[in-house]
Amino acid sequence: MSERQSASGNIYDLGYRRYEGVRLGRRHAVVTLYLHSLRAAFGLGRPATAKIVPFGLAILALIPATIQLGIAAVASDIVELYSHSGYYSYVQWIIALFVAAVAPELVGRDQRSRTLTLYFSRSLLRVDYAIAKVAALTTALFVLTLLPQFVLFLGRAFAQDDLVGYARDNWRDLPPIIASGVLLCFFMASIAIAIASQTKRRAFATGGVLAYFAISLAMAGILLATLGGDTGGWALLLSGFHIAQGFTLWIFNIEPSSSETSSTYDLYQAGLSLWVYCVAALVYLAVCLGIIYRRYQGISA
Amino acid sequence: MNMPIAWLTLRQLLGAKRTLLLVAAALLPITLAIVFRLTDPDVEPARFIAQTLLGRLVVGTMLPLAALVVGTAALGSEIEDGTAVYLLSKPLPRRVILLPKLAVCAGLTLAMMLVVTVVAGAIAAGGEEDGAAVILGFAVAVAAGSVVYSALFVLLSVYTTRAFISGLIYVFLWEQVVTRIFTGTRILSVRQYTIAVADGVAHVSSSVFDGNLDTWKAVVMMVVVTIAATYFAIRRLERFEIGETA
Repeated sequence: MSERQSASGNIYDLGYRRYEGVRLGRRHAVVTLYLHSLRAAFGLGRPATAKIVPFGLAILALIPATIQLGIAAVASDIVELYSHSGYYSYVQWIIALFVAAVAPELVGRDQRSRTLTLYFSRSLLRVDYAIAKVAALTTALFVLTLLPQFVLFLGRAFAQDDLVGYARDNWRDLPPIIASGVLLCFFMASIAIAIASQTKRRAFATGGVLAYFAISLAMAGILLATLGGDTGGWALLLSGFHIAQGFTLWIFNIEPSSSETSSTYDLYQAGLSLWVYCVAALVYLAVCLGIIYRRYQGISA
Repeated sequence: MNMPIAWLTLRQLLGAKRTLLLVAAALLPITLAIVFRLTDPDVEPARFIAQTLLGRLVVGTMLPLAALVVGTAALGSEIEDGTAVYLLSKPLPRRVILLPKLAVCAGLTLAMMLVVTVVAGAIAAGGEEDGAAVILGFAVAVAAGSVVYSALFVLLSVYTTRAFISGLIYVFLWEQVVTRIFTGTRILSVRQYTIAVADGVAHVSSSVFDGNLDTWKAVVMMVVVTIAATYFAIRRLERFEIGETA
């Protein structure tokens, strides 16, 4: 300080000062980016129009569970309306639309406005950026999966006379609920980010993510119908929705239903052991994370 | 019909990578049709074509996706990129700008989907009698559906900057989930109109396939939706102030 005062009058001393505060480092950068992305996923801190789609979809995903809760209020003897293991079949499109809408917001915006340079010039590594984004989308999806499951659990519990008794008898449901929910979120988020991070155009990214789920679903169904159970069954492993259904059933240890109207009829027809879907999900996860890693190692910031 | 605008739109759409991706996607039903022919499944070909190949994959998924990509690209991406200013500041009535764009969107979607329908259908049918009727029915239906979807999605793209995701929500939540649960909402689904028209034209026994709506109702609704969507799109564009979003 004294030195600068003695140099007073020297117009060439621009008073460049080093940052001497605490350096929060890489970990803090990752956590901050994660929290920021989590807020961005729901459009928080952005104009109201950015909130409509994510909040709207999150509310839609809650509706079946809320119906169960409402029924518990009116007629307490009807319990089995939606099961924990079958819930995602009702909301799979909502979840897919959510990731298709949100993933481009998380990864495309930075590419479009060229802010990746700013991120990568900090202590944040490229892989940290990818981890933070996948983690944020996974966490955001909990609102569409674990929250409705929790409401559903309450709805089923309230339908009983003995709330504590229900919780005591059914606490064993909780580990599979949480395990399948977390795996589903991670699975959907990784696929969505892997596709969405390839382009900076929002429409391409959204369309790509949804086209994957829609077209692979239709393809798997058709191949199953034409090729029949033995070889056609493997076609279900193309489809994200079928894999998700399969590993959810495997985690809950439930066999697919043989009734033709049931949502799990495709899995029954395919006749694959359910653990295959779980392995397939892990393979998809590994491949998608690999694609994301490669994309962010190579992307020009 | 203002030809320069039509040509401009066509060049924009064909130049874009998205159209190439759509063409690649269009090969999927054709591949599936070949798979169907090569294996010898115990499903009746006409039934397979009507319910699965054309009904579910082409009309249910690819037609709305194609119309959405094309429809939101024609005007929506110009508004998003800010190039709409150069077009809208020309001394032309706004309807002269919108109508050729809409026509090109509908025409392009129609051309792509018609080729897919006829080629995939013909491969899967393999000269069967019912098959030809079903393919004709779907060809007419897909042509009509392309126009309705295009009008609808062009309308969306002048109203909101989030036309793409809104359109996806309509197609995949409303048409795929809601209309299946609440059957009364089928009268508000372009997909159901398309299927009903296919059923009406094909005139095959209901064991092969059956539309959920009456054909005349579907035709009336298609006309109403197309005219209303076009009218509101023009009205919105007439009130569109340059510099508002661009």
